[in-house]
Amino acid sequence: MGIARIGHASLRVMDMAAAVKHYEKVLGMKKTMEDKHGNVYLKCWDEWDKYSLVLTPSDQAGLNHVAYKVEKDADLDDLQKKIEAYGISTNVLAEGAMPSTGRMLQFNLPSGHEMRLYAMKEYVGTEVGTTNPDPWPDNITGAGAHWLDHCLLMCELNPETGVNKVAENTKFIMEVLDFFLTEQILVGPNGDMQAATWLSRTTTPHDIAFVGGPRMGLHHIAYFLDSWNDILKSADVMAKTKTKIDVAPTRHGITRGETIYFFDPSGNRNETFAGLGYLAQRDRPVTTWTEDKLGTGIFYHTGEMVASFTDVYT
Amino acid sequence: MFFDTRPKVSVHIAQTDETYVCATSESLLQGMLRLGRKGIPVGCVNGGCGVCKVHVLEGQCQSLGPISRAHVSAEEEAHGFTLACRVAPVTPVQLEVVGKFEKPFRKGFAAKAST
Repeated sequence: MGIARIGHASLRVMDMAAAVKHYEKVLGMKKTMEDKHGNVYLKCWDEWDKYSLVLTPSDQAGLNHVAYKVEKDADLDDLQKKIEAYGISTNVLAEGAMPSTGRMLQFNLPSGHEMRLYAMKEYVGTEVGTTNPDPWPDNITGAGAHWLDHCLLMCELNPETGVNKVAENTKFIMEVLDFFLTEQILVGPNGDMQAATWLSRTTTPHDIAFVGGPRMGLHHIAYFLDSWNDILKSADVMAKTKTKIDVAPTRHGITRGETIYFFDPSGNRNETFAGLGYLAQRDRPVTTWTEDKLGTGIFYHTGEMVASFTDVYT
Repeated sequence: MFFDTRPKVSVHIAQTDETYVCATSESLLQGMLRLGRKGIPVGCVNGGCGVCKVHVLEGQCQSLGPISRAHVSAEEEAHGFTLACRVAPVTPVQLEVVGKFEKPFRKGFAAKAST
Protein backbone atom coordinates (compact mmCIF):
# COMPACT_ATOMS: atom_id res chain seq x y z
CA MET A 1 0.00 0.00 0.00
CA GLY A 2 2.87 2.37 0.81
CA ILE A 3 2.65 5.99 1.97
CA ALA A 4 -0.68 6.89 3.55
CA ARG A 5 -0.26 10.58 4.38
CA ILE A 6 1.99 13.32 5.74
CA GLY A 7 3.05 12.53 9.32
CA HIS A 8 5.07 15.38 10.73
CA ALA A 9 7.53 18.14 10.03
CA SER A 10 10.60 18.84 12.15
CA LEU A 11 11.54 22.52 12.20
CA ARG A 12 14.51 24.42 13.58
CA VAL A 13 13.62 27.41 15.75
CA MET A 14 15.79 30.07 17.35
CA ASP A 15 13.56 30.94 20.31
CA MET A 16 11.71 27.91 21.66
CA ALA A 17 9.37 29.77 24.01
CA ALA A 18 8.28 32.13 21.23
CA ALA A 19 7.88 29.22 18.81
CA VAL A 20 5.71 27.14 21.14
CA LYS A 21 3.57 30.20 21.89
CA HIS A 22 3.13 30.80 18.15
CA TYR A 23 2.10 27.25 17.26
CA GLU A 24 -0.24 27.11 20.28
CA LYS A 25 -1.81 30.57 20.17
CA VAL A 26 -1.86 31.23 16.43
CA LEU A 27 -2.31 27.77 14.89
CA GLY A 28 -4.13 26.41 17.94
CA MET A 29 -1.93 23.34 18.37
CA LYS A 30 -1.19 21.74 21.73
CA LYS A 31 2.15 20.72 23.16
CA THR A 32 2.04 16.98 23.80
CA MET A 33 5.59 16.20 24.80
CA GLU A 34 9.10 17.56 25.34
CA ASP A 35 12.19 15.36 25.19
CA LYS A 36 15.49 15.55 27.09
CA HIS A 37 17.12 17.42 24.20
CA GLY A 38 14.63 20.26 24.52
CA ASN A 39 12.66 19.29 21.40
CA VAL A 40 8.97 20.13 21.69
CA TYR A 41 6.20 18.05 20.08
CA LEU A 42 2.78 19.40 19.16
CA LYS A 43 -0.46 18.25 17.54
CA CYS A 44 -3.68 19.79 16.23
CA TRP A 45 -7.04 19.06 17.90
CA ASP A 46 -8.24 16.92 14.99
CA GLU A 47 -5.09 14.79 14.76
CA TRP A 48 -4.98 11.43 16.51
CA ASP A 49 -1.29 10.59 16.58
CA LYS A 50 0.91 12.09 19.28
CA TYR A 51 2.54 14.84 17.21
CA SER A 52 2.65 16.38 13.75
CA LEU A 53 5.22 19.06 14.49
CA VAL A 54 8.61 18.86 16.19
CA LEU A 55 10.39 22.06 17.13
CA THR A 56 14.13 21.73 17.70
CA PRO A 57 16.27 24.44 19.30
CA SER A 58 18.83 25.85 16.86
CA ASP A 59 20.77 28.95 15.88
CA GLN A 60 18.97 29.07 12.54
CA ALA A 61 15.56 28.48 10.98
CA GLY A 62 14.55 25.80 8.48
CA LEU A 63 13.44 22.20 8.02
CA ASN A 64 15.21 19.25 9.65
CA HIS A 65 13.08 16.63 7.95
CA VAL A 66 9.57 15.84 6.80
CA ALA A 67 8.00 12.48 7.59
CA TYR A 68 5.23 10.50 5.93
CA LYS A 69 3.31 7.64 7.49
CA VAL A 70 3.04 4.33 5.66
CA GLU A 71 0.13 1.97 6.11
CA LYS A 72 1.98 -1.18 7.25
CA ASP A 73 5.33 -1.81 8.86
CA ALA A 74 6.28 -4.15 5.98
CA ASP A 75 5.89 -1.19 3.59
CA LEU A 76 9.11 0.17 5.07
CA ASP A 77 11.06 -2.91 3.94
CA ASP A 78 9.43 -2.82 0.54
CA LEU A 79 10.12 0.90 0.05
CA GLN A 80 13.68 0.57 1.34
CA LYS A 81 14.41 -1.97 -1.43
CA LYS A 82 12.86 0.26 -4.07
CA ILE A 83 14.63 3.41 -2.90
CA GLU A 84 17.99 1.62 -2.75
CA ALA A 85 17.38 0.12 -6.20
CA TYR A 86 16.78 3.65 -7.51
CA GLY A 87 20.27 4.54 -6.29
CA ILE A 88 19.44 6.47 -3.12
CA SER A 89 20.97 5.20 0.10
CA THR A 90 18.76 4.69 3.13
CA ASN A 91 19.16 4.28 6.84
CA VAL A 92 16.83 2.65 9.35
CA LEU A 93 16.40 4.44 12.67
CA ALA A 94 15.38 2.07 15.45
CA GLU A 95 12.07 2.35 17.24
CA GLY A 96 12.33 5.10 19.83
CA ALA A 97 14.90 7.12 17.89
CA MET A 98 12.09 9.64 17.99
CA PRO A 99 9.90 9.32 21.09
CA SER A 100 6.52 7.60 20.69
CA THR A 101 7.52 6.63 17.17
CA GLY A 102 8.32 3.27 15.55
CA ARG A 103 11.30 2.55 13.34
CA MET A 104 11.92 5.11 10.61
CA LEU A 105 13.30 4.79 7.11
CA GLN A 106 15.55 7.79 6.53
CA PHE A 107 16.84 9.05 3.17
CA ASN A 108 17.40 12.23 1.20
CA LEU A 109 15.36 13.31 -1.79
CA PRO A 110 17.44 14.15 -4.90
CA SER A 111 17.09 17.81 -3.81
CA GLY A 112 18.88 17.00 -0.52
CA HIS A 113 15.85 17.34 1.76
CA GLU A 114 15.68 14.64 4.42
CA MET A 115 12.55 12.51 4.30
CA ARG A 116 11.53 9.87 6.81
CA LEU A 117 8.91 7.16 6.58
CA TYR A 118 7.36 5.38 9.55
CA ALA A 119 4.45 3.06 10.23
CA MET A 120 3.81 3.58 13.93
CA LYS A 121 3.29 6.59 16.15
CA GLU A 122 1.62 6.61 19.56
CA TYR A 123 -2.13 7.04 19.26
CA VAL A 124 -3.61 9.63 21.60
CA GLY A 125 -6.90 10.44 19.88
CA THR A 126 -8.51 13.63 18.66
CA GLU A 127 -10.02 16.17 21.05
CA VAL A 128 -13.53 15.00 20.16
CA GLY A 129 -12.87 11.26 20.29
CA THR A 130 -14.44 8.54 18.19
CA THR A 131 -17.75 7.86 19.92
CA ASN A 132 -20.62 10.20 19.05
CA PRO A 133 -18.12 13.03 18.51
CA ASP A 134 -18.99 16.71 18.35
CA PRO A 135 -17.87 18.39 15.14
CA TRP A 136 -15.38 20.52 17.07
CA PRO A 137 -14.15 20.77 20.67
CA ASP A 138 -14.81 23.70 23.02
CA ASN A 139 -11.18 24.40 23.82
CA ILE A 140 -10.06 25.60 20.38
CA THR A 141 -7.56 28.46 20.45
CA GLY A 142 -6.29 30.67 17.64
CA ALA A 143 -6.98 29.52 14.12
CA GLY A 144 -7.94 26.06 15.37
CA ALA A 145 -6.06 24.23 12.62
CA HIS A 146 -7.35 20.70 11.96
CA TRP A 147 -4.19 18.99 10.79
CA LEU A 148 -0.85 19.35 9.07
CA ASP A 149 -1.82 19.20 5.40
CA HIS A 150 1.29 19.45 3.22
CA CYS A 151 4.69 21.03 2.81
CA LEU A 152 6.37 22.90 -0.01
CA LEU A 153 10.09 22.33 -0.47
CA MET A 154 12.32 24.70 -2.42
CA CYS A 155 14.66 22.76 -4.72
CA GLU A 156 17.69 23.92 -6.65
CA LEU A 157 16.85 24.89 -10.21
CA ASN A 158 19.50 26.45 -12.42
CA PRO A 159 18.76 26.46 -16.15
CA GLU A 160 22.33 27.58 -16.91
CA THR A 161 23.93 24.52 -15.36
CA GLY A 162 21.05 22.22 -16.19
CA VAL A 163 20.33 21.42 -12.55
CA ASN A 164 16.63 20.77 -11.96
CA LYS A 165 15.97 19.13 -8.61
CA VAL A 166 12.22 19.79 -9.01
CA ALA A 167 12.12 17.40 -11.94
CA GLU A 168 14.43 14.90 -10.20
CA ASN A 169 12.34 14.88 -7.01
CA THR A 170 9.13 14.58 -9.00
CA LYS A 171 10.43 11.61 -10.99
CA PHE A 172 11.67 9.89 -7.83
CA ILE A 173 8.55 10.26 -5.73
CA MET A 174 6.31 9.25 -8.63
CA GLU A 175 8.34 6.20 -9.67
CA VAL A 176 9.43 4.99 -6.27
CA LEU A 177 7.06 6.40 -3.65
CA ASP A 178 4.04 6.20 -5.98
CA PHE A 179 2.83 9.78 -5.65
CA PHE A 180 0.78 11.12 -8.58
CA LEU A 181 1.17 14.51 -10.22
CA THR A 182 -1.79 16.88 -9.94
CA GLU A 183 -0.37 20.19 -11.19
CA GLN A 184 2.84 21.59 -12.60
CA ILE A 185 4.42 24.84 -13.79
CA LEU A 186 6.28 24.41 -17.07
CA VAL A 187 8.73 27.14 -18.14
CA GLY A 188 11.57 27.73 -20.56
CA PRO A 189 11.67 28.44 -24.31
CA ASN A 190 10.01 25.14 -25.12
CA GLY A 191 7.68 25.17 -22.11
CA ASP A 192 9.00 21.81 -21.01
CA MET A 193 10.98 22.58 -17.88
CA GLN A 194 9.26 21.59 -14.62
CA ALA A 195 9.76 24.64 -12.41
CA ALA A 196 7.22 23.51 -9.80
CA THR A 197 5.11 20.41 -9.14
CA TRP A 198 2.25 19.41 -6.83
CA LEU A 199 1.85 15.75 -5.95
CA SER A 200 -0.52 13.61 -3.96
CA ARG A 201 -0.87 10.22 -2.31
CA THR A 202 -4.33 10.94 -0.89
CA THR A 203 -7.31 12.69 -2.48
CA THR A 204 -6.22 16.27 -1.81
CA PRO A 205 -4.55 18.35 -4.55
CA HIS A 206 -1.19 18.06 -2.82
CA ASP A 207 0.51 16.18 -0.02
CA ILE A 208 3.86 17.64 -1.09
CA ALA A 209 5.03 20.29 -3.54
CA PHE A 210 8.37 21.26 -5.05
CA VAL A 211 9.32 24.69 -6.37
CA GLY A 212 12.56 25.67 -8.08
CA GLY A 213 14.87 28.25 -6.55
CA PRO A 214 18.53 29.13 -6.22
CA ARG A 215 19.07 26.83 -3.21
CA MET A 216 17.25 24.10 -1.30
CA GLY A 217 15.10 25.02 1.67
CA LEU A 218 11.66 25.11 3.23
CA HIS A 219 9.05 27.33 1.63
CA HIS A 220 6.23 26.47 4.02
CA ILE A 221 4.30 23.93 6.03
CA ALA A 222 0.51 24.16 5.71
CA TYR A 223 -2.36 23.41 8.07
CA PHE A 224 -5.91 22.60 7.06
CA LEU A 225 -8.94 24.74 7.88
CA ASP A 226 -12.56 24.11 6.87
CA SER A 227 -13.60 27.22 5.05
CA TRP A 228 -12.92 30.68 3.70
CA ASN A 229 -14.42 32.12 6.87
CA ASP A 230 -11.86 30.21 8.92
CA ILE A 231 -9.15 31.85 6.83
CA LEU A 232 -10.58 35.26 7.76
CA LYS A 233 -10.61 34.28 11.43
CA SER A 234 -7.06 33.01 11.08
CA ALA A 235 -6.04 36.45 9.75
CA ASP A 236 -7.82 38.09 12.71
CA VAL A 237 -5.83 35.88 15.07
CA MET A 238 -2.61 36.99 13.37
CA ALA A 239 -3.56 40.65 13.77
CA LYS A 240 -4.34 40.06 17.46
CA THR A 241 -1.05 38.28 18.07
CA LYS A 242 1.01 40.65 15.88
CA THR A 243 2.08 37.74 13.72
CA LYS A 244 3.84 38.77 10.52
CA ILE A 245 1.42 38.11 7.64
CA ASP A 246 3.23 37.39 4.39
CA VAL A 247 0.24 37.11 2.05
CA ALA A 248 -3.24 38.31 3.11
CA PRO A 249 -6.23 35.99 2.49
CA THR A 250 -6.54 35.09 -1.19
CA ARG A 251 -6.96 32.12 -3.52
CA HIS A 252 -4.38 30.13 -5.43
CA GLY A 253 -5.08 29.28 -9.05
CA ILE A 254 -2.96 26.20 -8.47
CA THR A 255 -4.90 23.71 -6.26
CA ARG A 256 -7.75 26.32 -5.99
CA GLY A 257 -6.72 26.62 -2.33
CA GLU A 258 -8.01 29.43 -0.12
CA THR A 259 -5.06 30.65 1.82
CA ILE A 260 -3.14 32.98 4.11
CA TYR A 261 0.62 32.86 4.64
CA PHE A 262 2.52 34.06 7.69
CA PHE A 263 5.81 33.55 9.50
CA ASP A 264 6.62 31.82 12.77
CA PRO A 265 8.91 33.73 15.19
CA SER A 266 12.01 32.21 13.55
CA GLY A 267 10.89 33.13 10.03
CA ASN A 268 9.67 29.68 8.97
CA ARG A 269 6.68 30.25 6.71
CA ASN A 270 3.31 28.77 7.68
CA GLU A 271 0.12 28.54 5.67
CA THR A 272 -3.45 27.94 6.74
CA PHE A 273 -5.24 26.46 3.80
CA ALA A 274 -8.96 25.84 3.27
CA GLY A 275 -11.26 24.23 0.79
CA LEU A 276 -11.25 20.92 -1.01
CA GLY A 277 -9.96 22.43 -4.23
CA TYR A 278 -10.96 19.27 -6.04
CA LEU A 279 -10.98 15.58 -5.37
CA ALA A 280 -7.56 14.47 -6.55
CA GLN A 281 -7.62 11.17 -8.40
CA ARG A 282 -4.88 9.14 -10.05
CA ASP A 283 -6.61 9.34 -13.43
CA ARG A 284 -7.43 13.05 -13.20
CA PRO A 285 -5.63 14.89 -16.00
CA VAL A 286 -2.62 16.90 -14.85
CA THR A 287 -3.13 20.68 -14.73
CA THR A 288 -0.35 22.72 -16.34
CA TRP A 289 0.47 26.40 -15.70
CA THR A 290 2.57 28.20 -18.27
CA GLU A 291 5.34 30.71 -17.60
CA ASP A 292 3.24 33.67 -18.78
CA LYS A 293 0.42 32.77 -16.36
CA LEU A 294 2.64 31.98 -13.38
CA GLY A 295 1.32 34.92 -11.36
CA THR A 296 -2.28 33.82 -11.89
CA GLY A 297 -1.42 30.28 -10.85
CA ILE A 298 0.12 31.47 -7.62
CA PHE A 299 -2.22 34.36 -6.72
CA TYR A 300 -5.37 33.97 -8.74
CA HIS A 301 -6.98 37.33 -7.91
CA THR A 302 -4.13 39.73 -8.63
CA GLY A 303 -2.19 37.57 -11.04
CA GLU A 304 0.93 39.24 -9.69
CA MET A 305 3.96 37.73 -8.04
CA VAL A 306 4.93 38.99 -4.58
CA ALA A 307 8.68 39.23 -4.09
CA SER A 308 8.66 38.30 -0.42
CA PHE A 309 6.54 35.23 -1.19
CA THR A 310 8.53 33.76 -4.03
CA ASP A 311 12.01 34.77 -2.97
CA VAL A 312 12.04 34.39 0.81
CA TYR A 313 12.41 31.03 2.53
CA THR A 314 14.35 29.27 5.27
CA MET B 1 1.30 57.50 13.38
CA PHE B 2 0.15 61.06 14.07
CA PHE B 3 1.67 61.50 17.49
CA ASP B 4 4.85 59.59 17.89
CA THR B 5 6.75 60.81 20.90
CA ARG B 6 9.20 57.92 21.00
CA PRO B 7 12.89 58.84 20.97
CA LYS B 8 14.19 58.56 17.41
CA VAL B 9 17.48 58.59 15.55
CA SER B 10 18.31 58.87 11.87
CA VAL B 11 19.23 55.86 9.74
CA HIS B 12 21.14 56.34 6.50
CA ILE B 13 21.23 53.72 3.72
CA ALA B 14 24.45 54.00 1.72
CA GLN B 15 23.27 52.50 -1.58
CA THR B 16 20.21 54.69 -2.03
CA ASP B 17 21.56 57.66 -0.04
CA GLU B 18 18.22 57.70 1.79
CA THR B 19 17.74 58.74 5.40
CA TYR B 20 14.77 57.85 7.57
CA VAL B 21 13.97 58.23 11.24
CA CYS B 22 13.69 55.13 13.35
CA ALA B 23 12.50 54.87 16.95
CA THR B 24 15.06 53.40 19.32
CA SER B 25 12.43 50.86 20.40
CA GLU B 26 11.72 49.46 16.93
CA SER B 27 13.86 47.49 14.51
CA LEU B 28 15.73 49.22 11.68
CA LEU B 29 13.39 47.38 9.31
CA GLN B 30 10.16 48.36 11.12
CA GLY B 31 11.24 52.01 11.08
CA MET B 32 11.77 51.87 7.34
CA LEU B 33 8.50 50.03 6.71
CA ARG B 34 6.51 52.47 8.86
CA LEU B 35 7.57 55.26 6.49
CA GLY B 36 6.78 53.25 3.39
CA ARG B 37 10.42 53.18 2.31
CA LYS B 38 11.99 50.31 0.40
CA GLY B 39 15.76 50.51 0.75
CA ILE B 40 16.20 47.27 2.72
CA PRO B 41 14.60 44.04 1.36
CA VAL B 42 11.76 42.77 3.58
CA GLY B 43 11.29 39.05 4.15
CA CYS B 44 10.14 37.06 7.17
CA VAL B 45 10.85 39.95 9.61
CA ASN B 46 11.68 37.29 12.21
CA GLY B 47 15.42 36.78 11.81
CA GLY B 48 15.23 33.59 9.75
CA CYS B 49 15.37 34.28 6.01
CA GLY B 50 18.32 36.67 5.84
CA VAL B 51 17.14 39.01 3.07
CA CYS B 52 17.36 42.12 5.28
CA LYS B 53 21.04 41.56 6.04
CA VAL B 54 22.86 44.87 6.57
CA HIS B 55 26.34 46.06 7.46
CA VAL B 56 26.26 48.74 10.14
CA LEU B 57 29.07 51.09 9.14
CA GLU B 58 28.57 53.65 11.91
CA GLY B 59 26.47 53.81 15.06
CA GLN B 60 25.26 51.42 17.72
CA CYS B 61 22.37 48.99 17.67
CA GLN B 62 20.88 46.66 20.26
CA SER B 63 19.59 43.15 19.68
CA LEU B 64 15.86 42.44 19.66
CA GLY B 65 16.19 38.67 19.23
CA PRO B 66 18.17 35.83 17.67
CA ILE B 67 19.39 36.01 14.05
CA SER B 68 19.92 32.97 11.84
CA ARG B 69 23.53 31.76 11.79
CA ALA B 70 22.81 30.41 8.32
CA HIS B 71 22.88 34.04 7.18
CA VAL B 72 25.08 35.93 9.68
CA SER B 73 28.05 34.15 11.25
CA ALA B 74 29.28 35.09 14.72
CA GLU B 75 32.40 36.56 13.10
CA GLU B 76 30.33 38.66 10.71
CA GLU B 77 28.18 39.85 13.58
CA ALA B 78 31.31 40.97 15.43
CA HIS B 79 32.15 43.06 12.36
CA GLY B 80 28.82 44.87 12.26
CA PHE B 81 26.78 42.57 10.02
CA THR B 82 23.28 41.83 11.23
CA LEU B 83 19.64 41.46 10.17
CA ALA B 84 17.75 44.77 10.10
CA CYS B 85 14.60 43.11 11.50
CA ARG B 86 16.34 42.12 14.72
CA VAL B 87 18.20 45.22 15.86
CA ALA B 88 17.06 48.62 17.11
CA PRO B 89 19.24 51.72 16.74
CA VAL B 90 20.71 53.21 19.91
CA THR B 91 22.51 56.05 18.14
CA PRO B 92 22.22 57.46 14.58
CA VAL B 93 23.15 54.65 12.17
CA GLN B 94 24.79 54.46 8.76
CA LEU B 95 24.32 51.14 7.03
CA GLU B 96 24.90 49.30 3.80
CA VAL B 97 22.39 46.78 2.46
CA VAL B 98 23.94 43.32 1.98
CA GLY B 99 20.94 41.00 1.57
CA LYS B 100 19.08 40.68 -1.67
CA PHE B 101 16.20 38.67 -2.97
CA GLU B 102 17.08 35.43 -4.70
CA LYS B 103 14.86 35.19 -7.73
CA PRO B 104 13.38 31.77 -8.42
CA PHE B 105 11.18 33.12 -11.20
CA ARG B 106 13.16 36.17 -12.16
CA LYS B 107 12.55 38.05 -15.37
CA GLY B 108 14.48 36.59 -18.26
CA PHE B 109 14.13 33.10 -16.84
CA ALA B 110 13.11 31.79 -20.24
CA ALA B 111 15.95 33.58 -21.98
CA LYS B 112 18.45 32.10 -19.56
CA ALA B 113 16.93 28.68 -19.92
CA SER B 114 17.57 28.74 -23.65
CA THR B 115 21.33 29.24 -23.27
